Amino acid sequence: MDFKTLLNKEFILLDGGMGTMLQARGLKMGETPEALNLEKPQILIDIHKEYIAAGADIIYANTFGANRYKLEHCGYSVDRVVRAGILNAKRAVSESVNPEALVALDIGPIGQLLEPTGTLTFEEAYGIYKEQVEAGKDADVIVFETMTDLYELKAAVLAAKENSDLPIVCTMTFEENMRTFTGCAISSMALTLEGLGVDAIGVNCSLGPAELYPVAEELCKWTNLPVVLKPNAGLPDPVTNEYNVSPKMFAELMGKIVPLGVKIFGGCCGTNPEFIKELNLMLKTQKFREIKHEIPAACCSASKTVVINRPRIIGERINPTGKKRFKEALIAGDIDYILGQAIEQVRGGADILDVNVGLPGIDEGEMMIRAVKAVQGVVDVPLQVDSTIPEVLVKALRVYNGKPIVNSVNGEEKSLQTVLPLVKKYGACVVGLTLDENGIPKTVEGRFQIAKRILERALSLGIPKENVFIDCLTLTVSAEQDAAMITLEAVRRVKTELGLRTVLGVSNISFGLPERVIVTHNFLTMALANGLDMPIINPNVADMIGAVRAFNVLSGYDKNSLEYVAAYGTKKDAPVSVNVPKQDIDLNYAIENGLKAEGAKITEELLKTTDPMAVINEILIPALDKTGAEFESGKIFLPQLILSAGVAQGCFEVIKNHFAKTGAKSVSKGKIILATVKGDIHDIGKNIVKVLLENYGYEVIDLGKDVPYEAVLNAAVEQNVHLVGLSALMTTTLASMEKTIQLLRENNVDCKIMVGGAVLTPEYAEQIGADFYAKDAKESCDIAKRVFEEFYPQG
Amino acid sequence: MVLEKLNRAEAFRYMGHKGGDIPTNIEALANECEERLLKNSAPKFVWRVFDIEKTAEGVLVKDTPLVLKGRSIASHLRVCEKCALIAATLGAGADTVIRGYESGEMEKAVVADCLASAAIEQVCDLAEAEIQSALSGTHFTWRFSPGYGDLPLDIQSDFLNVLNAQKRIGLTVTENLILVPRKSVTAVIGLSAQEIPKGRRGCATCNLRDTCNFRKSGKHCGG
Repeated sequence: MDFKTLLNKEFILLDGGMGTMLQARGLKMGETPEALNLEKPQILIDIHKEYIAAGADIIYANTFGANRYKLEHCGYSVDRVVRAGILNAKRAVSESVNPEALVALDIGPIGQLLEPTGTLTFEEAYGIYKEQVEAGKDADVIVFETMTDLYELKAAVLAAKENSDLPIVCTMTFEENMRTFTGCAISSMALTLEGLGVDAIGVNCSLGPAELYPVAEELCKWTNLPVVLKPNAGLPDPVTNEYNVSPKMFAELMGKIVPLGVKIFGGCCGTNPEFIKELNLMLKTQKFREIKHEIPAACCSASKTVVINRPRIIGERINPTGKKRFKEALIAGDIDYILGQAIEQVRGGADILDVNVGLPGIDEGEMMIRAVKAVQGVVDVPLQVDSTIPEVLVKALRVYNGKPIVNSVNGEEKSLQTVLPLVKKYGACVVGLTLDENGIPKTVEGRFQIAKRILERALSLGIPKENVFIDCLTLTVSAEQDAAMITLEAVRRVKTELGLRTVLGVSNISFGLPERVIVTHNFLTMALANGLDMPIINPNVADMIGAVRAFNVLSGYDKNSLEYVAAYGTKKDAPVSVNVPKQDIDLNYAIENGLKAEGAKITEELLKTTDPMAVINEILIPALDKTGAEFESGKIFLPQLILSAGVAQGCFEVIKNHFAKTGAKSVSKGKIILATVKGDIHDIGKNIVKVLLENYGYEVIDLGKDVPYEAVLNAAVEQNVHLVGLSALMTTTLASMEKTIQLLRENNVDCKIMVGGAVLTPEYAEQIGADFYAKDAKESCDIAKRVFEEFYPQG
Repeated sequence: MVLEKLNRAEAFRYMGHKGGDIPTNIEALANECEERLLKNSAPKFVWRVFDIEKTAEGVLVKDTPLVLKGRSIASHLRVCEKCALIAATLGAGADTVIRGYESGEMEKAVVADCLASAAIEQVCDLAEAEIQSALSGTHFTWRFSPGYGDLPLDIQSDFLNVLNAQKRIGLTVTENLILVPRKSVTAVIGLSAQEIPKGRRGCATCNLRDTCNFRKSGKHCGG
């Protein structure tokens, strides 16, 4: 018997809780249950046999926590524990009443949270799961269960798919708010896992069968895969630790869930063979109802699903093409700049963000990984990964958390052959451009035929139709006046005749014309009327987002014009602290009162008449000095200081743009490395220091948090940096700070080191070999000034 | 569980506010940050009662591998025969809110960070209230967390395992003993059938007493 054959059975029965059974046999809460595989195998064989006798078709081997991280303290290798676990289960099957029962390699969460919330990287998680998958190759099926992080589960599924041929079952743990602890939505789970090609999906643990009914109902709507349900026996009592649902009640409640279309049943914490026996009896009285659901065209992040059932805006701003400031940020590795663009577009109304970081001279693949990881860490909208290089797309697709869109494939044979298999493997949506070896067809029919060819090829690879989006390409109307109508007609035909969703970048249309936005937004409206689903635009341009909002009202998507009214119905409140007439606000006032927008505007005005360096040295720096002094004297407190620094930062951004446009090099007062030391993830103090130092004109190389010792050394040496700032917030990570300092000293790096953080004292700073102790962000600026004036006047 | 309002006064104190009115623009920041935090955090706690046994090695939490070591916890539990272990978290969503602000709006990051610190204390208060109402007639000590006094942080991993805290509330600890999600707390409350004499509480038993910013400015955290 194998899993696929077993699926022909009407219902499939799994086993029940393992922890509960082991505790009844003397295991203490908090001990490593997997060690028993080697120490007391007979206990496990007996438990497995009880479950098979109760009717289980599949038993889970006792391997849930048998990973490198969790076994570290018990002295056994992953390989030994997992093999023993599978062997015990196989022996139980062979000695049982049902020698056809299957054995699952059971794998739970690693026990460490992944970046960006935790410190474990996606790649490390993959390695940990790979080891378990390889050790468990004698199982009949791999089960990933009790997962709460879709990202961790994706690493697990890839590790299984790439290192094993066994079928894969995935169950996640949802709370009553229909989300996992990490915020994963049920729809996102279903779309992502079905895309990755697993064999069954479902829900286990957390709650009892009554509470999980709505979760099961929602999941069944989003998938046509077999659905698994393995609830707890209710909730445990905190005093007695007894669960509150009886076996009979459990089976009865599960009976109500059967009509939803669930096929695979079992029990989790608090259940025992009695529960499985009752489940078995109940299922014998039921009929399986296979319900086929239409799965809509959609992409998703882990927490947000965007269904393409109305116009959805793809934000175009994360792209260096034609943007000097963006290029500079890419070269400097300034990920915060990219994040700023991401957040701004989402606030502006983007539903999806395009991410393109292609620039000659940088490692696009590595930058794509950094950008995707960082952007998905701060915004919840799905991403469209955009590159002309397939290797870059693979990197983005691996580390993306959810179901992304790939931008793009085209009708060229080479493109079809390289890009579409990636789209299939990673379960993405894909944008197909209507061009091929012969360029962009000048006729509607030509473009339609390429769209058709892309669709047919996608279907032949098993990519579902709803995952294929077509871009009929916008040409410049001032160069070819017919081109606009050809594009629009192609959009209409692709939408109506092929039934595909459509994508279009619209801004090209007005190239070379004055007042471009007039032409562009009217073209956008026409395209929407012809069936455009996903315009690629800058959502912060009022006329563009306005065109989409108006279309949504006129075409009935925006019911009762609620969204339109929410956007335009009430004037936004003016910033609260502006009590003086506008014309009286100068840069000093803006900085002191935390007026960001005004600060930037005034700086722009000033730059028309004033030398940028004069603006920095004569206005910005003195204003910052003043707020710094007020902070030291206790006149203002931390949020006010940082608010002022934020205004100044906005002014510097304007000046940087000015430099980028005029081609002038900005003047740096000196380079400073900042890092939160290895093992520490408290980033906020270091980031405050960064803002202040940048305001004083220092170039900050921010290595981030949890930074390995060598990374600090390498950056200092490679970039010839003379001041290194280290931050640590925990007594447990001070040792890392000391080691980082040691490494810098051993390698005779010509630099001063300043340290800071809540648990540090001046004495301790001296003891571990730091040159300076900074009690707060303000003091770190004073130290920087001293260091560069006294020791390294050349910067 | 839902928090409806955050303890602003406490949060402003964490931000270093030393009295007087809060400027209106900072109040406005706090309004925005509080709204986002409340919307994106998912406060949760789990607790369980255990018998304890006092030995030379430390206070044993019975039927678990957990040993509470050090003089300060022994003193804290000296008249207790049981204890409640609590783990509480705001969830990863709160971290995401703060991280989002950090890439360009540091002032909001600081305000949200301090509001979230106040929020997790409020969650612990709710957990404590639930314990008190579930065990009426019992006397309780105040909450004592790993890292206070000489109770070592390195019990965090066992502490979480004993409560099955990853499965129950999604709480983990890193190799460097940092709780993740970040805005999380573990704590021990002593339970006793008899009245508990008011113990020493405050800076004397705190291991941050030499470096604490409140103390440096002549104040205390109120813990």
